[in-house]
Amino acid sequence: MNTLYLEIAVVVLGIILLMVESYSASANKARLAWIGAIGLFGVLLLSFIPQHAPAPGSPAAAFITSDLLSVFFVRLILAATIVFLLTVPSFFPALRISLPAEREGGGLGEFAILPIFVCAGLMWMVSAVDFIMIFVSLELATITLYILATYLRQNTASLESGTKFLILGALSTGFIVYGISWLFGTTGTTNLLALPSAIAALPEAAVTPLLFGIGMILVALSFKISAFPFQFWVPDVYQGAPTPVTSYLSVASKAAGFVVLIRLLGALWAIPAVSHQIHAVITLLAALTLIFGNFAAIPQTNMKRLLGYSSVAHAGYLLMAVASLSSKMAVPAIGFYFAGYLAMTMLSFVVLQVVSEATGGDEISRFNGLGRRSPLLAGAMLLAAASLAGIPFTAGFIGKLLVFEVALKQGHYGLVALGCVTVAAGFYYYFKVIRAMYWQQPAEETSIAVPGALRFLIAVLGAAIIAFGVYPAPILAALR
Amino acid sequence: MNLSTVAWITLLAPLGAAALILLVTRTNRAAASGLAILSALIALVGGWTLFLNHAEGIYQGFNWIDFGKDFSIPFALALDPLSRTMLVVVTTISPLVFIYSLGYMKEEEGFWRFFAGLAIFLFSMLGIVLANNLVMMFIFWELVGVSSYILIGHYYGKPSAADAAKQAFLVNRIGDFGFMLGILLFWVATGTFDFSGVNDSAELFKAHPTLLAVSCVLIFCGTVGKSAQFPLHVWLPNSMEGPTPVSSLLHAATMVAAGVYLLARIFPILSASPDACEIVAWTGAITALGAGILATQQDDIKGILAYSTISQLGYMVTGAGLAISAALPMFHLFTHAFFKCLLFLTAGSVILGMHHEQNIWEMGGLRKKMPVTFLTYLCGMLALSGCFFFSGHYSKDLIMACAWEHHRGIFWVVVIAAALTPFYMTRQALVVFFGKPRSEHAEHAHESPLVMIVPLILLAIPAVCAGYAPVEHYFFHSVGSLTEPEVPHFVELVFGAAFVIGILAAFVIYRGAPAKDPIRIPAFHNRFYIDDFYFWIVRVIQGGFAKLCSFIDRWFIDGILVRGSATVVWTIGFALRFLQVGNIQAYALFFAAGVVGLLYLLLTIH
Amino acid sequence: MEHSLDPYASLLIHIVSGVGFALTTWVGSLLLGRVGRATGVKNVPYECGMLPEPGPQPRFSVKFYLVAMLFILFDIEIVFLYPWSVVYREYLQQYGVEILGVLATFTAILFAGYLYAIRKGALDWSK
Repeated sequence: MNTLYLEIAVVVLGIILLMVESYSASANKARLAWIGAIGLFGVLLLSFIPQHAPAPGSPAAAFITSDLLSVFFVRLILAATIVFLLTVPSFFPALRISLPAEREGGGLGEFAILPIFVCAGLMWMVSAVDFIMIFVSLELATITLYILATYLRQNTASLESGTKFLILGALSTGFIVYGISWLFGTTGTTNLLALPSAIAALPEAAVTPLLFGIGMILVALSFKISAFPFQFWVPDVYQGAPTPVTSYLSVASKAAGFVVLIRLLGALWAIPAVSHQIHAVITLLAALTLIFGNFAAIPQTNMKRLLGYSSVAHAGYLLMAVASLSSKMAVPAIGFYFAGYLAMTMLSFVVLQVVSEATGGDEISRFNGLGRRSPLLAGAMLLAAASLAGIPFTAGFIGKLLVFEVALKQGHYGLVALGCVTVAAGFYYYFKVIRAMYWQQPAEETSIAVPGALRFLIAVLGAAIIAFGVYPAPILAALR
Repeated sequence: MNLSTVAWITLLAPLGAAALILLVTRTNRAAASGLAILSALIALVGGWTLFLNHAEGIYQGFNWIDFGKDFSIPFALALDPLSRTMLVVVTTISPLVFIYSLGYMKEEEGFWRFFAGLAIFLFSMLGIVLANNLVMMFIFWELVGVSSYILIGHYYGKPSAADAAKQAFLVNRIGDFGFMLGILLFWVATGTFDFSGVNDSAELFKAHPTLLAVSCVLIFCGTVGKSAQFPLHVWLPNSMEGPTPVSSLLHAATMVAAGVYLLARIFPILSASPDACEIVAWTGAITALGAGILATQQDDIKGILAYSTISQLGYMVTGAGLAISAALPMFHLFTHAFFKCLLFLTAGSVILGMHHEQNIWEMGGLRKKMPVTFLTYLCGMLALSGCFFFSGHYSKDLIMACAWEHHRGIFWVVVIAAALTPFYMTRQALVVFFGKPRSEHAEHAHESPLVMIVPLILLAIPAVCAGYAPVEHYFFHSVGSLTEPEVPHFVELVFGAAFVIGILAAFVIYRGAPAKDPIRIPAFHNRFYIDDFYFWIVRVIQGGFAKLCSFIDRWFIDGILVRGSATVVWTIGFALRFLQVGNIQAYALFFAAGVVGLLYLLLTIH
Repeated sequence: MEHSLDPYASLLIHIVSGVGFALTTWVGSLLLGRVGRATGVKNVPYECGMLPEPGPQPRFSVKFYLVAMLFILFDIEIVFLYPWSVVYREYLQQYGVEILGVLATFTAILFAGYLYAIRKGALDWSK
């Protein structure tokens, strides 16, 4: 099956749902989310039919490929979007408060449909091998995400979040376009596959403008994956955006950014003219991101901000693997890390969504005594936090183990030592949540009810954390 | 269906049953017991099929952990003469105990929970038997530990049961820590976890006999914990708080024997290290004697049997330590599994008949009220005592004869223990089944229902004849050689004398089944004060140490290291937070600074 | 070297004439504008009544932005279609059907957006 059909199916699904939403008289918007999730699940199943890249020489082949990396991340993004859609209906009460409802259900349906378009954009992004394609798909995803981040229109935090995201995002978009044009100006191509041979043919004087272009693109990608010092938007945007959006931003959007980074660096990694500069910069980015993400997370008192910093910290660990791209195990390690990261991050956001709905806030103190109010939620959060911190027999542990192993084999001893220190710091802030849940008195004793769909999600994601942590072989095999 | 499939079904059937009970049928009593017994019967058929077809080789499952060539742990089943024989023991006894439990647990709460626990146990035990590498065995080793914890603590509402479960788990942890270190040491030295790889590595260790001895002794720590050898034996008597079928299956026949099975598994490499063997043999001998002495003064019907189990496990460990053949300890394991399981089940039958009274000095005269129980008990008791024509005689005498041949010191220790066995068993038999009833319960005791009686009778058969030469040859000819060494005539006389002296002494002292124990030796009665000593250690030394630690912890570690480093880290974080001003112009400025920095680096590094 | 600068010559002329024009008018007005009496009203750039410095937040109806945005979107549609028809002429022989299909898809997606906008009342000013 041609790999393009998956993305086309997703777009068609989105358009159909949009038409249904606007022309059907039904006010039941939750149904759209269910249909969307089922449809995407169908696409996910389709992705297991053997894919083949567009035939060499055909117009599509210049833009899209289908390799182990793209297939793996296409599935990951589909899975993340399905999780998002399943959390949407239980988020409707919070949406209703912040939307001017002239009509019953007005504005709710789009919240379930826009993610599908983001999904298509990100899917294209991970399969793209040409900067034009990367840019277009990036914009499709990002512009839609701006809307989603600002969705709580009468909530100033959400507006602030969306505005910051939009302005800084536009800034980074400017940099990527600028970088691409420099790249094109020096090498005469925007195609990643043609890049190595084009660079090899360059005179020495062209290396500086080339590096300038690469630097610009790296800036934009660093923004996307929230690497220091381009991560400043993360805590503010994460805090203000609707919880499901935050969750999705920190997983799917970041994953796509990493895939582009891997593809770009993969093309440049072994080219002598530019390689050691790039190695040095990536190593430095990894170190700074590790330090910033982990240490700045420590004094946080807001759960969403904490998870924002945690997402920066995880970008640091992932960058450790990117800095070791010479190893064959680097890409499988990143893939595995993301699979685990999806399960544990989205699980903690699902729990956060229920808790903030029930208690009316996102502060860590809202989790006080959760162990008594809802053993299920507290247990799920415990599992997610343990995995985020990297306790053995969870996906997070194996992910970190793989990343550290890859980095050690490539001689990044300093990074690994730093990683060990920051892991210890990570225990501190993740365990703050656990302490709140089990050692603090709850503000009130009433138990918290969990909607059925979220119960299902908690079970699936929790099972995934343990399954990946106990039996990592199949995921690793998918990328080798 | 090929043998590989049979092996996997045998292993996974109990797991399936446990999953179904815990997830689907839940508290339904009939479904729970039915599923568990069905899975045990499937395992029975599977185990015998594998044995009769001489299944041989490694059945690959999947690669559990695969980090490239240097470190991968496959999940595979190993079938060889050793595992086949052990498989027969486990799968034959389990269904009988499961069925027996139907009657024994009939009135109990948590009936379904109990059967789920049994099924999990059977799965874990089969995993130990079939594991083809040390890590896999370790995992299942821990799983039987968990199921033992669950089953000992079945009456978790009772503090003594909960404490016993906790103690069993914690004491085993001490041994398992050594076991794990041993596994890692072997891995570092040989680069493999497979039994075949480890056992073939004797050459590697030629230049490092000490390393080999240390590795083997560390692995042996696992045995010391699981098979309740001195000094970690304390948990086994306390584990008798669990329901009697559990004591019978886990704490007599199979689970505690896993330690001996482990020794047999690594026998080729163990026997390459004389120092390690010396330690193993002496540990076993001391345990055999010490537990035998303690058994003479216990009042609890199950307590006596528990110490006797420890003592017999000591024999098996000694047998392994003599470094003659893996078949030597396994043969005693084989016979012991049947007769000790039988003894515990008869004890359970007595306890049920006595309305859960376990003190033997409250019993008496049960011979007439529980005839079948009595007769089957007699079979088990004579087998344990080492009476001619009963299974225990053959396997125990073989170990003693080999000890004579190879190690005189150990020989005399185990011979004394061999005299104690008939003594305490006769004492128990006389006090429980003869004389007059000593209590209300004993007068109204009644025979147990048919579901309990039938397993007793079925077990009595192997208890009698599992030691006969044809049986031995049938099960052990491919495991290893079991030729009885030529011993002088007087040694054989010593064996006979030990048995006769033991029985006669008991008859003299307990003739007529007195109302109270005529001899009272506080040191024996109180388990040599070992339990108290451990308790004292925990309380005084550890308590004092804890106070010291608490002081250091509070002032040095907490005050300076933790608080100090936490404060430093927190300050860094707090300072970093100031970068997060929330002002978008500032963010754009940082962004621009980042761009400049990144470009500067990219363009200036050469 | 001179040869390579050739294409930029026209750019240079463009810049020089642009800056030059602005400078000339500015300097001219500075010199000539001082003649006569200056009043507040007279100094206003546009004497037709439009205020050169309105309040910091000129108020537009939010509907204006909506319509403007939709206008840009559909304008872009045309902007895309036009060069398409010109650029791909040479490929028409080989990939004619594909190109037509892609064009149709593009317009169809935009048409779906149009339908959505109508249904949501975005084009209805009074709503």
